[in-house]
Amino acid sequence: MDLMIKEKIKQVKKGDQAAFADIVTFFQNKIYQHCYRMLGNAHEAEDIAQEAFIRAYINIDSYDEGRKFSTWLYRIATNLTIDRLRKRKPDYYLDADIKGTKGLDMYSLLQADNRLPEEEVENLELQSYIHQEISELPPKYRSIIMLRYLEEFSLKEISEILDIPLGTVKTRIHRGREALRKKLRHV
Amino acid sequence: MGCNHEAIELMHKYLDGDLTKTEEANLRLHLENCESCQQHFHELKRTITWIQSTERIEAPQDFTQKVMAKLPKERKRVSYKR
Repeated sequence: MDLMIKEKIKQVKKGDQAAFADIVTFFQNKIYQHCYRMLGNAHEAEDIAQEAFIRAYINIDSYDEGRKFSTWLYRIATNLTIDRLRKRKPDYYLDADIKGTKGLDMYSLLQADNRLPEEEVENLELQSYIHQEISELPPKYRSIIMLRYLEEFSLKEISEILDIPLGTVKTRIHRGREALRKKLRHV
Repeated sequence: MGCNHEAIELMHKYLDGDLTKTEEANLRLHLENCESCQQHFHELKRTITWIQSTERIEAPQDFTQKVMAKLPKERKRVSYKR
């Protein structure tokens, strides 16, 4: 996989635009999910995730092939989501469709072929609740919790993505875990 | 509850893979004797499992096409070669 991506990036750098489509297809779910979790709504997530890929394409010459591409790409995406969060009006959160379980249409997030037997409903409600609690963490904790546990980056990689010292990553992941533990302990 | 603060630090170091052998032994010993820390540790691990088990979100079907449609025009050099 890494080899395939490396090869595609070489082609893109040579000016082959079509090769970039494979890169987008390969990373689209990860980047879209990351944006969705950071922003809490599908429309903005799509907008920002697209923008992240477009910027990656435009700036592909500044990507250092000695480093991990996914780290570089997530860095672009994360910076864009943080900019977007900063630009929001304070009351924006009231409209974000992830608040509460009604607005966040979990059913629409499931894959099309996904069945919904009775016993999964309870699980779905729990998942929806966990989503909500994650979405209510301050962004600086939320981003790290997601990068670590959903996207499985190492703490070192997270410090590169977010451009903050490793020690800060550790302090924040510690606080993020404690905050979530408190919210979820009575479930 | 003076023990808690130190033990909780160790739990987080454990979760980040940062514990030394000695610290690990200390934490283990403490957990054997302290029920509230055991509970705390259990809750932390359960929280992580829950985060990891949440539903994956997928990009819209036409995502790649939309991105490709918005890219700046291909550099002439290559399109010319094809």
